[in-house]
Amino acid sequence: MSSELESVISLCRMVQSGKIEPFDIDFDYVMGVIRKHYPGIKDVKDFCLDAEALKELSNVLERQNRWIEHKSSTLYKDPFMLSQSLMRMDIGAVADAFLKSWHPILEMEQISARTLAESLSYWGGLIPLDERWQEMDVAERETGTATMKEAHDMGLVLTEGFAQLLEGFWRELGERAGVGGAVDYWDWIGADAYRDTVYRAYITVFMVSHGYASVSHDRLTEETVIIHNPDPSLDPERPKVSLPMMVDYEEWRQWRRG
Amino acid sequence: MAARLTKTERAYARKVKDAVQLLFFKHHRLPGVRGWELRKELGSDWRNVLDVLDKQLKPLDLQVTRAFDEPDVVEPTSAQLQDARYYVTLRGTVDQKVAKTIGWRIDDIAGLAVSVAYLISKQGKAPRADVERVLEEKLPGWRVKLNVDRYVQQGYLGADEQGVMYLDWRSRAEIDTKKLVDLVVGFGKKDREAQP
Repeated sequence: MSSELESVISLCRMVQSGKIEPFDIDFDYVMGVIRKHYPGIKDVKDFCLDAEALKELSNVLERQNRWIEHKSSTLYKDPFMLSQSLMRMDIGAVADAFLKSWHPILEMEQISARTLAESLSYWGGLIPLDERWQEMDVAERETGTATMKEAHDMGLVLTEGFAQLLEGFWRELGERAGVGGAVDYWDWIGADAYRDTVYRAYITVFMVSHGYASVSHDRLTEETVIIHNPDPSLDPERPKVSLPMMVDYEEWRQWRRG
Repeated sequence: MAARLTKTERAYARKVKDAVQLLFFKHHRLPGVRGWELRKELGSDWRNVLDVLDKQLKPLDLQVTRAFDEPDVVEPTSAQLQDARYYVTLRGTVDQKVAKTIGWRIDDIAGLAVSVAYLISKQGKAPRADVERVLEEKLPGWRVKLNVDRYVQQGYLGADEQGVMYLDWRSRAEIDTKKLVDLVVGFGKKDREAQP
């Protein structure tokens, strides 16, 4: 029962998404399918499916009505004629036609009292240039060599590949949050030292952008959680997500104090 | 009587100035002001105030325009008028030379025109892939995707989660769709009729 009803539902939805024209749907046929299955309804699931099919069919009827209204309006022009005309016109002619029917909005950017107040506050907190641009105390040194171990110790070279590093963090997240579970953002990135906290936040950004984890933010409680992804997608074609994350020093101190 | 009339005129002049500040300057992320905001600031005769402002803007080739959230509104109800977004737009039109100076390439304008006309022919909705296919007839593929993204970003076209495109608020506010369709369909008609 369900597959036939599901197929008429998806057929009706194709009208909503503009893939087929509203009158491509045979109303009597779809109604016949719904009528045929109605006596066989056994449980709530069947009933919902039946109701869904009726709702989608009524949406198709609405689109058919709108189609008739559109066709009877002065705006209606045969789509075929319209597309043929467009193909006949060169780019300059199309642009001219558009410009003759285009009335761009007038927009003016301005300084408001609020932006002025914010700017003054920023100015007040700005450290003078001579303090900001203090000359760095540098001493000339002879160039030298270092072994790989020394470079590791100085933190200049990673001991493992970046992918392995991410996987390590992903496993840690799985252990702390449970597979597919969530953990509070600060509990996850927070470390005893601020430097380590920033490092963990930095790696977390890559975990999210590479599909190892996701982030959820509750606007009401303002809580952010990191969610472990049990099945990280490593498809290189997959679009990367860019995620800005704040690691505020004061917030970190408050977190440490508990 | 004369004094009362002057008082009314003064009140209207003040309200028109308020309307100018509301409509000319950007208050939100998107340009324009909702009808209910204008009513709140200008009072119950806000629509008359807009009519007065519209008349005063005429010599400057500007006009007060409105766009409804729902397409195809013919006789708006009071609620629809209050929900509509009001703008100041150019009353006349711009030519290609001016369009270039405000950052539009001829290809971009033509691409937008084709997208809008195509969506109108499809009753305002069509899959993004179909819109791109039409544009690819005359524009290089890499440019088509960039342009469609730009039209979406600027508010001319919208796309839902299923990738179905529609005419967004800016098209409703700025484009005289009927005129555009008439110009496209009527293109070359005189030449064709003149042929024996």
